Amino acid sequence: MRALSQTFAILPSSIPQEKVMGSVGLTLPWEHKLSAVARDGERRVEPFEGKAETVRISEELPQDEAVAAACLGGNLQGYERLYQWQGTRMKNLARNLLGSQADAEDAVQETFLKIQRSISGFRGQSSFVTWTFRILVNTCHDLRRSRVRRKDQVNEDVDALPPRRELRAPGAHPSLRMALESALGRLTAHQRDVFLLYEVEGFRHAEIAGMLEISETASKNTLFQAKKNLRTMLEPPRGSATGGAQ
Amino acid sequence: MNINCDDRERILLDGSPEEWAALEQHANTCAVCAEELRAWKQLSAAAGELRDYQESPALWARIESSLRQQQAAAAPRKSFWSSLDFLRHVSPAWQSALVGAMVVALAISSGYLYTHRPVSPVDPGNKLLKTGALAEVERTERDYMSAIDKLAADAGPQMGADTPLMASYREKLLVLDSAIADLRAQAGGNPANAHLRYQLLAMYQEKQQTLQDVLETKR
Repeated sequence: MRALSQTFAILPSSIPQEKVMGSVGLTLPWEHKLSAVARDGERRVEPFEGKAETVRISEELPQDEAVAAACLGGNLQGYERLYQWQGTRMKNLARNLLGSQADAEDAVQETFLKIQRSISGFRGQSSFVTWTFRILVNTCHDLRRSRVRRKDQVNEDVDALPPRRELRAPGAHPSLRMALESALGRLTAHQRDVFLLYEVEGFRHAEIAGMLEISETASKNTLFQAKKNLRTMLEPPRGSATGGAQ
Repeated sequence: MNINCDDRERILLDGSPEEWAALEQHANTCAVCAEELRAWKQLSAAAGELRDYQESPALWARIESSLRQQQAAAAPRKSFWSSLDFLRHVSPAWQSALVGAMVVALAISSGYLYTHRPVSPVDPGNKLLKTGALAEVERTERDYMSAIDKLAADAGPQMGADTPLMASYREKLLVLDSAIADLRAQAGGNPANAHLRYQLLAMYQEKQQTLQDVLETKR
């Protein structure tokens, strides 16, 4: 976590936290600390304490340029710096998109190879990290398609298929994570991408727009729709809510 | 800022920090908005459960090895144009100057090569010999044609006989004359073509032989 500690920072909450947690609505059986951070006009709800690692890309531009320059020069140390800086984050996104640790590692490796092959085409129109994650997301989609083709499921809409899930190390709230993973699997691929990039990996809508080659407004709309859908999926059946604030 | 329930979705979608603060204030007195806001935040908080930034100890070694292999495989295939990639980092003025220098160098080297080109040894006698040989062939051909015309004149009376054999000879001579005319036309366009000359000679010989056959029939 050495590299992470250099680049991720816990941002102070700028919005008062809720004191009372209601139980109506989402059935997310945990007590958590919520904080929302306004950043460049965007509002973000921070996750659990101790994991509030939101990336501050704007402060990392010099590092972004330095890593890009090192990679452009064909220096393998540049790729190592990129890995130390973003490797675990890349693997985490790939893991959530593909559902398997082994597939995620394959995707990250393939992404680095693609970066090396096409680094001469990087023009600096977006940040290097944005460019890298665009390649990663496309690689994950390609891997999913090839995985499905191997299973002779070519007639199905590949992108609509939920990621294959495998067990992973138990977190603080395994039941919550499993419920969320299951619900994410029922979103469209596009909604899943945006939700993971924004809510899990902490990218801004402007960055997500660059990665997915959509407009910033489309990114916001997609996230909104994804969260609405997730809420509906995670909501308890009518009549099963027990108590709580109304 | 006055916020009501109708503003909630718009703010959840793309509200400013001030609008969010106003929505939170409104939620203190509105149970529906309070619940919506709580659920919205819970989703973001729950997303943290999907964050697992554990290192994979062997992954970088694997990636580095594959990067090295790819780099080694790509090195010999580096194209001429990719070797000019450094130009992208050079200012346009220097790029123009470099291109100009390359053009001047190319012009100078082309001029040098032109002025110092090896002169091919042309044997003038050989050329005259070819021209002389052609003139001799044409002269001999004319003489040959003249001789054959005399032969045809001799065979003329016999050729007029109304017999099937003479009709056959006349037909054969017509075909030969037609073929000779075609070959002469081709040879006129390409007088040095020896192959055409040989074919023409064969036709003349055939005509000569046919006329001799006609004259022998007369005897």
